[in-house]
Amino acid sequence: MKSLFQIKMVLLLIVATGFVARAQDSRIQMGSLDHLAAKASQTVDVNIDGRLMAIAAKALSDHDADEKQVKKLVAGIKGIYVKSFEFDSDGQYSAADIESIRTQLRAPGWSRLVNVTSKKEGVIEVYLLLNGEQIGGLAVLSTDDKELTVVNIVGPVDLEKLAKLEGQLGIPELGIEAKPKTKNDEQ
Amino acid sequence: MNEDYLWDKSGQPDPQIQELEEILGTLRYQPKPLVIPRGLAVSRRRNYFPLLAIAATVLLALLAAGVWVQMRNNSKSQPQQAKVPPAVDEKKIPSPALAITEPTPVNKPIVRERTFAANNKRRNRTASPSLGKREQEEALAAKEQLMLALRLASEKLNLAHRKTQNTTPAQIKNQHRIG
Repeated sequence: MKSLFQIKMVLLLIVATGFVARAQDSRIQMGSLDHLAAKASQTVDVNIDGRLMAIAAKALSDHDADEKQVKKLVAGIKGIYVKSFEFDSDGQYSAADIESIRTQLRAPGWSRLVNVTSKKEGVIEVYLLLNGEQIGGLAVLSTDDKELTVVNIVGPVDLEKLAKLEGQLGIPELGIEAKPKTKNDEQ
Repeated sequence: MNEDYLWDKSGQPDPQIQELEEILGTLRYQPKPLVIPRGLAVSRRRNYFPLLAIAATVLLALLAAGVWVQMRNNSKSQPQQAKVPPAVDEKKIPSPALAITEPTPVNKPIVRERTFAANNKRRNRTASPSLGKREQEEALAAKEQLMLALRLASEKLNLAHRKTQNTTPAQIKNQHRIG
């Protein structure tokens, strides 16, 4: 009886470890981009791990509609990591810098959902980590001549709800977008 | 009989008196040094004054320490008057994991926290009142970061969406599974 319990516990541990490993898999290491901060005219570096996510969730109000929406969206998310560099001149980052991110996104489980390449507007790639039919993580790699942005969300995320958040959060423009939004874009 | 002998031993002594003198003379005082027996224990009277003084000092010190500790505890547990914190400069709020940096002319990046718009201030004050002041600040900073990150993610997703809408099929290289 006792040995059966021990076996169950070991199995549970293995399964739990597997889940943890899967959750960690969707985390992209962006440390290789840190050296770009010295060259960048503006750097955005956001690292929200599980602990900070829980703390931030406490600060989100249930009475405010927008914040309630955000709270629902981030309920299952285990971390959000962003690195965005904006440069004054072209060619400040190398192909190797981008490759260091892409290599990780070639790992099993990751799927490239979108890859748009434009000579004028650069490249934007959207990757999803799929656990069966469920989204286990999201990565966005956006580059143009003067900008390099990597967004990584760890955990299940509702893409539709996330896309709808833009313009609803009351956060002012940071000027990260190279091209300002036009009226047509907003429509 | 010459009675002078009885007074100052002068004159002729009486034979009977002489005989008495000889008999009683054996009991005469004999000067000899004092000999104290070895086994005799000499009982001395102890002086307890220094011990008592030390004990009293220690007792007083303990008493004083006790009073001080109690006074200190009382002053701690006294309900503090609600203090209205001075208007917090958003720039001063520490943001542990968020850094928006701009390099100095010598290319050394200095951290410069962004001030978020006034319309965000109301939202920023909605942290749970049950949190401590420090926790509340941390929660607000985390919330700001979260909002910023979500906005960026949302913006990039929409940008990708817009680009896929506005681009020719040739520009959309692939939408296939890599892993």
